[in-house]
Amino acid sequence: MIRHLFKLIWNKKGSHALLIVEIWASFMVLFGLATLIVINVGNYRQPLGFSYDNVWAISLKSNQDTVEVAQKLQRAMQRLQSYPEVESVSRMSSNFPFSASQMSNGYEYGKQKVSADSYVADENFAKTLDMTVTLGRWYRSADSIGKYTPIVINQKTREALFTNENPLGKIIDKRLKVVGVVDNFKAKGEFMTNKPAIFELLKADQPWHDTMLIKVKPGTDAVFEAKVVKDIAIMMNGWSVEVDYLTDSRKNQHNLVLVPVIIALIICTFLLINVALGLFGVLNLSIAKRRGEIGLRRAIGATGNGISSQFVGEIWVLATFSLLIGLLFAMQFPLLNVFDVESGIYVTAILIAVLVIYAIVTLCALFPSRQAATIQPAVALHEE
Amino acid sequence: MITLKNIEKVYRTSSIETLALTNINLSIQAREFLSIMGPSGCGKSTLMNLMGLLDLPSQGNVEIGGQVVTQYGDKELAQLRNQKIGFIFQSFHLINDLSVLDNVEIPLLYRKGDPTGKSRRDLAKEALERVGLSNRMKHFPNQLSGGQKQRVAIARAIVGRPEIILADEPTGNLDSAMGNEIMAILQQLNAEGSTIVMVTHDESMAKKTHRLVRLFDGSMVGDSTLQTV
Repeated sequence: MIRHLFKLIWNKKGSHALLIVEIWASFMVLFGLATLIVINVGNYRQPLGFSYDNVWAISLKSNQDTVEVAQKLQRAMQRLQSYPEVESVSRMSSNFPFSASQMSNGYEYGKQKVSADSYVADENFAKTLDMTVTLGRWYRSADSIGKYTPIVINQKTREALFTNENPLGKIIDKRLKVVGVVDNFKAKGEFMTNKPAIFELLKADQPWHDTMLIKVKPGTDAVFEAKVVKDIAIMMNGWSVEVDYLTDSRKNQHNLVLVPVIIALIICTFLLINVALGLFGVLNLSIAKRRGEIGLRRAIGATGNGISSQFVGEIWVLATFSLLIGLLFAMQFPLLNVFDVESGIYVTAILIAVLVIYAIVTLCALFPSRQAATIQPAVALHEE
Repeated sequence: MITLKNIEKVYRTSSIETLALTNINLSIQAREFLSIMGPSGCGKSTLMNLMGLLDLPSQGNVEIGGQVVTQYGDKELAQLRNQKIGFIFQSFHLINDLSVLDNVEIPLLYRKGDPTGKSRRDLAKEALERVGLSNRMKHFPNQLSGGQKQRVAIARAIVGRPEIILADEPTGNLDSAMGNEIMAILQQLNAEGSTIVMVTHDESMAKKTHRLVRLFDGSMVGDSTLQTV
């Protein structure tokens, strides 16, 4: 029977061409959307690698002030540490977690190269963000005395540069010495790909890293924020102070990822509704035009359910033709490693798109095919 | 082979009730070739539908091969139609998107224990050879003449080797030469053992059968033997 249905649809391919193209286009859009969703869900399931609750980022801008900038930053840090509401303070580069700012550099170890996100932060960074060091330790200010600048790398960097080698004590770029390894660090939020990252010790006399991360006690509110801003403004005349709650910055980062996905989802939904209505209409028309054939099939041995299955089967065959064409295109993505996305993600997206298309065509075919099953053979044959 | 007992068929809509057949008692023996005649609207096709299990009587019983089939469900009726009955229609009812060979194969697709593709093909070819169309297997119905289409329909009716063939005005859409050809094939099938019931408007065709049943206004008004089986 399957061969019979394939032959029937194949012989009518001319009249079904538009429908085949429509299902193919829906599959391609669905494949794109599914890829986007699978990537983001996969990322979301990976741990962030740090804790952002009750952490604020205070950005200090010296503006026109060029005198003793590093010393002033140090004094501001000491002032922040002195508040009883503050549990921990860390000074770092402007690319604090969930910020719009990003720094990345190329690093080399032997013949291995990696492009990693680069963070410059002091010894309190891991404590402030509650990060866990899985190998070695977090660097200390005292480590800056040596010939090499101490760094901590994340697991992705370790895999890229050292594969199975122990990274502790290894020198990167002739100036950086690995003292520890952390697991994940997804600074742009849960939807970010877990990328290679390197943390370099911030030296107190560097004037250009002007962001303070502070971890406050639970329940600390905007009254304290106002007090901090006021105190620093008095202490550092002419400087500007900006406070970001990491929880709010995280929401902004999520919106940047989710808005395009939601737009794509809406477009895709409209497209699928169009396809569903098209299929529904074509099937209804087809059944109306094929009453004689339905009557004949009933006369020569088809049951009502058999007729119903035949129409569902025909629409599956039609969808299969479209999907085979779609697969020719979609399979190029994993084969050619397009956009550097893992093959598994593309394959999962293809499977999801195929299942959704079959589910939609089945839903569309159910009602008309049930109607076809109720056609009385004697009546249908007489009409013809 | 086919027995109709006290058959009555009423078509009902919300406002109209039409008595299509009343008090029909008919017994058709195996290997018989019976024709049914009567004016338009007298109930010939309704009677044919009841014999072909395409419709159920409002009252009375239909027996096929000694089995009362009136209480059968959809599945049993479909199986019985597929195995015991072959249909031939005035308007051929061929599927234009399938080749002649594929059209003839269709009844075998619904057969319980579905014969394999190869044996289906062989049976369909054999049926087409019997009606003299083995050279048109790959053609499509719209490439055939009316007589050839009807021969394809006959091949489709006999491919499953049914005991009964029901032909509803099989020569109605054909000229007399073509009609005679089709009639000759039906006579041949009957001679080979098939029981045939044919509805016709053509007296000359009816005279070529063994028995003639006349209907008028839903009632049997005549039942005459024309030739001995």
